[in-house]
This record gives sequence, structure tokens and C-alpha cells, in this order.
Amino acid sequence: MTARVRRRTILAFLGPAVTALAAVGILPLGYAVWKSLHDFNLTRIARQKFVGLDNYVAVLGDPVFWAAVGRTAMLFVIAVPIQIALGLMIALVLHRPGLGFWKTLTRLSLVLPMATTYAVVGLLAQVMLNQKYGVVNQMLGWIGIDPINFIGDPTNAFIAVVLWDIWQWTPFVALVLLAGLSTVPPEIEEAARLETKSGWTILRHVQLPFLVPSLVAVLILRTADTLKLFDMPFTMTRGGPGSATEFIAVLIERVGNRQFDIGMAAAQSIIMLAITIVLARLYIRLFYREVR
Amino acid sequence: MTFKSHISAVALAAASLAGLAGAAQAWSLEEAAKPYAGTVVDVVFLDRPGYNAIREMLPEFEAATGITINITTMPYENALGEQVRDFVAGGDLDLALIDLVWIGNFAENGWIVPIEEFTSNPDLVDPELDLEDFFPLVLNAFGAWNGVVYGLPIDNYSGLLFYNRCMLEEAGFDRPPETWEELKDVYGPALTGDGRYAFALQSKRNETQSADSFARMLWPFGGSFLNAEFRSNLNSPESQAGLQFRQELMAYMPPGIVAYDHAETVNALAQGDVAMITEWSAFYTTLVSPETSKVADCIEVAPEPMGPAGRKPALGGFSLAVATQADEAERAAGWLFIQWATSKANAETYLRKGGVPARQSVYQIPGIAEEFKFVPALVESWQEGVPEFRPRFAEWPTISEIVQEWGTKMMLGEVSIEDGAREIGTRMEAVLEDAGYYSGEKPLVQ
Repeated sequence: MTARVRRRTILAFLGPAVTALAAVGILPLGYAVWKSLHDFNLTRIARQKFVGLDNYVAVLGDPVFWAAVGRTAMLFVIAVPIQIALGLMIALVLHRPGLGFWKTLTRLSLVLPMATTYAVVGLLAQVMLNQKYGVVNQMLGWIGIDPINFIGDPTNAFIAVVLWDIWQWTPFVALVLLAGLSTVPPEIEEAARLETKSGWTILRHVQLPFLVPSLVAVLILRTADTLKLFDMPFTMTRGGPGSATEFIAVLIERVGNRQFDIGMAAAQSIIMLAITIVLARLYIRLFYREVR
Repeated sequence: MTFKSHISAVALAAASLAGLAGAAQAWSLEEAAKPYAGTVVDVVFLDRPGYNAIREMLPEFEAATGITINITTMPYENALGEQVRDFVAGGDLDLALIDLVWIGNFAENGWIVPIEEFTSNPDLVDPELDLEDFFPLVLNAFGAWNGVVYGLPIDNYSGLLFYNRCMLEEAGFDRPPETWEELKDVYGPALTGDGRYAFALQSKRNETQSADSFARMLWPFGGSFLNAEFRSNLNSPESQAGLQFRQELMAYMPPGIVAYDHAETVNALAQGDVAMITEWSAFYTTLVSPETSKVADCIEVAPEPMGPAGRKPALGGFSLAVATQADEAERAAGWLFIQWATSKANAETYLRKGGVPARQSVYQIPGIAEEFKFVPALVESWQEGVPEFRPRFAEWPTISEIVQEWGTKMMLGEVSIEDGAREIGTRMEAVLEDAGYYSGEKPLVQ
């Protein structure tokens, strides 16, 4: 009897969460997998047919898809290490004792970039980086630098997206690492400070082991965020000029929402999901260690 | 037949005719709409002057008919996707807002109703409908597919040459260029320098690149997207000449022109930074208003320059059609709204509120051409446009994406004109092959 009550209680607690997860996650995912096995274009719905793995074969052999994957990887490889480095610096400064008011103010201001909607960030960039009327070029002009064609030049546009991503997400990394630093037992840290004056030694041997879980979380979240980065580059450059800022999510949106090829877009999304899962598992296996 | 019965028959016929004539005379929007009072008609509008004009006029229609027009406003970029998803899912939309390049898609999928369903119903058709009053090119291009009329033109554009008369006069010109060659070779060098440029061609990677930039340079030079067999015509000498011309013209455009959308281009002229632009007629109000233009008094309008193959200006615009998924009352109510919004009677009001009607009669009203400077150029352009300026079949959105990517790469010099055109051609033919044009599954209609 007790066991039955317990099972019911467990079901009552888990049921809503499992149902919600199934409704918003598992069912749409299943539907996407099913559609990825079909030639399913909204503009020729009458010709819909099952094509097996044809869409996957087409995606895996498509140079446009791999170019977008490469661009996304490049963005990740450049932006995330900078975000971690800057975020760690900010976190270490905020972790030091003293300057209470200013630290509170800094913590608050760190939330602002994250709280700004991605699409708005992209629109702001488009206006601020305008070669003729943008405030960034105006400020560069004050120090004698000629206006830079940020949005109309492929290389500059890519760099602009990287810089904007760094601006928006460094604070997030800083706050996560600051939380990680607060898990370092104060007595261990104080003992280490008595032993050495080298901040690097303390960071390397005392703080870093406690930061590993935070760093893995940052890597997993930033990898997922970068793979699905869409709003900001879409409103800022729309993937251009040429294909310079066509990241994988921008490409998938183009195929699904502008070419209406839902089957192909679903196959691209499932492949990206697989890559994300593999990367996340890899991070956990390579980097994550329980701190004892 | 007796005399009496003769008289009776004649009287009956006369009475019938009088009744019919009376019915025709008596047709009114109020009477026609009575059975549909209380009906709600859902439609997508854009945030553009023509739609704002209709919105301002709408209370009059709703008061007269009791029909409610429920408008969802969205940016152009979202309008196609939202409507396609709504029609595929059997959603709420009762009317379809159709860019001329979407008409093949909507008609072939059976999402819109031919207007014949309504024009054959005397209860619903306004005796003053007069389809022949629409500019034939506009009605055919915006509202018809494969010889069947589905929609009536509601928001109508032609490409026009907007120019800063003051800048041209300063450089010694007393008229705008008549040909593209003249624009590049004579006006280009004279008007470029000191941070100012002779011309700006909006070329951002979206429909602007494929329609306003790429296609604009094909047609006046005798080029086209497709030949008669629906194979790529982009590597023909004429198409190549047009695309090469665009490349050379970039010497007289602001740097970063591939990032210029309509807003940046219109603003560049309005700020006095460029001397000439080719833009849609709809931007006239923005350019001549002192609130939005520094050079409002200097703005003049002319038809787009001619190329070796003639003027062939850019053609764009929207029609409204009744959606198949609407029920009977919504169809009738929707039709009455379309008919009213595009009517001869409302054309002048629509024009004065910022819209551009496709009715020929309104442009013949004395004083209109003088009051609205773009009118003569617009009327001339609508005599010389090509309906397939951009192919209007269902595959255009896919092909447009290809043109946007490779057209931008050409302008950036990342690929040669010839190789870029070949790449677009190969991809375009693959799309058409897949759609069934080469197997005879689909007719070669664009």
C-alpha cells in the first residue's frame, strides 16, 4: 500500500514535468525527424513523399551547409576563448574583497547586455556600424580613423558579428565564473594567499579546479548558443554580404522559412542537434571532474 | 397569340428589363453587403504608405457595410512565410496579399479564388468595376496567372529615377540621364567626388539584391533570367552586358553598396549624399517631405533610364485576392472589400492619402500630374514594363535566394560575372528540374 502511494506521489510530481517536456520538446523533435525523411516543401504540398535518408545525404554533401558549419565553428573558436578570458578577468576582479558599491554596480551593469533581445542587438549594430551615419564611425573619426565599412565588407562584417557576440556574452561568462569562484572554500584560498603572492599560482592550483564545472557549463551553453545564433546576425547582416555571416542557424532558417523546404531544413537541424550532443558529451568527458 | 397576351408579354418583358435596369442602378455597397454584416475578414497588410492609406479610409467601408476588416501588419520579409503557413494549415486568413512574384505559388497551390466567381454574381459585382480601367500590365502582372485573374492591384509600384535637380544643375546638367550608358559615362564622373556619389543602387542581400539590383540590370540590356525553353539565360551576351554594366557602375556608388537596402538608399538621396537613385514610386512621399528629406525641394522624378533593349523598368506591387479557405460569407465580404479598396471611385482619395492606384482614370483627372510629380514617369513606366521582370512562378523564392547570394558575391568581386551567372544558372535549372518544368509536368509559365 505504501509502495503504491509512493508510486502515485512520484507520478504526480513527475507527470506534469514529463508531459510538458514531451509536449514542447520530444513531440516536436519526433515530428522534425519524421519530416526530415520526407520531400516536404510548403509550396508544393501535393508532391509530398517519403524519401528516406535522401535529405540527410543531400545535406551532408552540400558545400553550402559545410561552409556555414565552418563559419559557425570559426565564430565559436574566436569568440568563446575571448569571452572566457575577459569573463575570467572580470570575475577575478569582482571576487576580490572591498569596493562593495562599485562591485554591485558592475554586477548590475553586466546583466544589461544579456537582457537585451538578440534581434535588438543586431538592429543596434546595424545602425551604430553604419559607415556614413553610424556612431561608431563617428567616434573613430574623432581619433582620425577613416570610416570603416563594417557591414558591407565580408571580413569586416564577420569581425563585427564576433565583436558583438563578445560584447553580449562576456558578462554571462563573468557572472557564471564569479559564481564558480564563490564555491572556493575561503579557508583554502586564505591559506594559499599566505603561501604565495602569485595570483597565477592561486588561480591555477586553487581556484581553477573549482571553476571547472562552471567552465564546462559555459562551454556547453555557449556552444549551443553559437550553433543556434540567428537573431543577431539576421537583423544585422541577414547572412551577408555574400555568405560572410551565414551561420548554420541563418542557413537553416533560409531553407525552411524562405525556400519553404521543411524536409531539408529539418534534416539540417537534426544533424546540428547530433553535433551539439556529441560536443556536449565530449566536453563533459574531457574536462569535467568532480571537485573533491 | 392575342393582342392582349401580346401586350402582356411586352409588359412583362418591359417590367423585367426595368427591374434589371433598376437592379443595376440600385446596386450599392450597402445593399450588397447586407447579408454579410457582422462578418470579419482577416488580411495581412504591410507597414507601407499604400496600406496606411487604406487603413485611414477603412472606417467608411466598415460603417457602410457592417463588415470588419481585421488587419495584421507585418514586415514584407515575413508576409510570404506567414501567409504560406496559414494557407497550408487552413488558418484564419480570408484574403491573400500577393506580391507579383508570389502569384504563381498561390494560384498553383489553389490558395486563391479567381475573381470570376464574384464578377459573375450580379449581387456582388459593382457595375462600376471596369477591369479595363486598370493598367493592363499591372492587372496582368500583379493579379493574373496563366490567363486567369485572381486579384486586383492594391499597392502598385514602378521603378523610377529620383534625382537631385540641384546637384545635377551644379554639375552643369539641365536634365536627368536618358540612358544607363549616359548615367555611367557622363553623369557618373561629373557627380562623384568629395564624399558624394552619382548613383546608389540598393543591393542588400535580400529581395532587394535579386529584384532591385540584379534584375534591374538584366532587362534594359536585353537579358533575362530564362530563355524560351526555361534554361538559364544569364550567360547570354545581353545578360552578361547588363551584369558587367552594374559592376562598372559601382565606381560611382557609395562604398558598401551591398549593405544598402531601400532605407539606406532613399536616405542617401534625401541627405544629399547621392545625386540619383532608382527606387519604387512608393518612396516619393518620403523624398519630397521636408520632414524626411533635406533636399525635398530639389527632388525630381523621371522614368528609369533606357538600355540598349529599351526602358524595361523594375516592376513590383501587390494584389489582393480572396482566399480559398474562407467560408462563403467571408469570401463575399472579402471581395466587396477588395472591390471597394481598388475602385475607381476611391482611387483619388487613395492617391491623396499616400497610395498609388493602378486605375488609369485617376491619372487623367486635371491637376493630378502636376500635383504628384511622379505620375507622368509612372504612367510611362507602366506602358513599358515586363510582367516577368522577376519570374512569378512558385519557385521564385528559392531562385531569389540563389540570386541574392551569388549576385552579392559578384558585386564584391568574390566571383567573376561569368562564373557567378553560371553558378546561378546551374542552381536555378536544378530547382526548375526538380519542380517538373523540364519533364513537362508543369507548363513553362512565368
